[in-house]
Amino acid sequence: MELFAETVNTAVLAKGILVGFGGMGPAIAIGLLGASYMTAVSRNPESAKFLGQLFVFVAMAELFGLIAFASIFIVK
Amino acid sequence: MFSLFASEGPHIAIAPEKLFTIGDWTITNSMIYGWIISTLMIWGLIYLVKKISVNGSRGPAQILDAGVEFIYSTTESSLGSREMARRYTPYFATLFFFIAISNITGLLPIVGRSFTYDGTALFRPFTADFNGTIAMALIAIVLIQAFAIRESGPVKHFRHYFAGSLLNPATYLIGLVEVFQELTRLFSLALRLFLNVVIGEILIAIFAYLGGMFGFATAVPFTLMEVFIGLLQAYIFVILTVSYLSVAVSHSHDHEEAPA
Repeated sequence: MELFAETVNTAVLAKGILVGFGGMGPAIAIGLLGASYMTAVSRNPESAKFLGQLFVFVAMAELFGLIAFASIFIVK
Repeated sequence: MFSLFASEGPHIAIAPEKLFTIGDWTITNSMIYGWIISTLMIWGLIYLVKKISVNGSRGPAQILDAGVEFIYSTTESSLGSREMARRYTPYFATLFFFIAISNITGLLPIVGRSFTYDGTALFRPFTADFNGTIAMALIAIVLIQAFAIRESGPVKHFRHYFAGSLLNPATYLIGLVEVFQELTRLFSLALRLFLNVVIGEILIAIFAYLGGMFGFATAVPFTLMEVFIGLLQAYIFVILTVSYLSVAVSHSHDHEEAPA
């Protein structure tokens, strides 16, 4: 374990894991939101007016990805 | 000779940088830019408001007209009545224009390290400062409480947190969770705006750095994306505060209508 800590820069590893897994959740969330929006529009074209609501939920999901991205500047 | 790839990394600052102190007060670069932008905005908006006419506005006044109209219709559809929309649109429109103009002027070339004072950047967008966004979110949350108390009275407003029979212990548990939800709202409102703006700045800095000699060209797509995101975040901040207000107010209306 000591050899691992000496040879591998664990901070870079941590940053990679943070960005990778932190971006994964919001990406899945935004994909699901877009899929359900397209389903709703194709079932009922009237519901296309809820695009503004969609962006609100996209921003809510995006927050967690942004927190993960901002955290990589704290890891030293 | 110029170097094709810059040797040092891009300059990344998450927190605003301290410029100088007046007495005990620390003046940071985001404060300076916030003051400049607010002063210009007040002048500009007073000038433009006089240009708006019933017969159709011309020039830049159209943008103001359309923006206020947009916020008014959003507020009206969310709160559900014209008089409430007329009462609360001024605050939400102010919020929208302040955030949108702060975000967009934060992309100007004068912001960043083009003007420096003692080695730190002189200007920084106001919304890229967590102190600024949390102040805006705190004012929004406190004003929503005040608006809700004005609309439905203090007792009814606090009963909307502790809804149900007061003899049931679960009411207090759920009520406490609801009260803590206000804190969650405060931090999520502030963090969303702050992180979107700051990470946009960081993305632009990183891609300008990766471009090396052609940094002016590689940063363009991200700058254009930031214009869109800046407007979108202003809209989202406003629509979230409107929906918090509509939740706080509509609960009290339900209680009003149920016995009658």
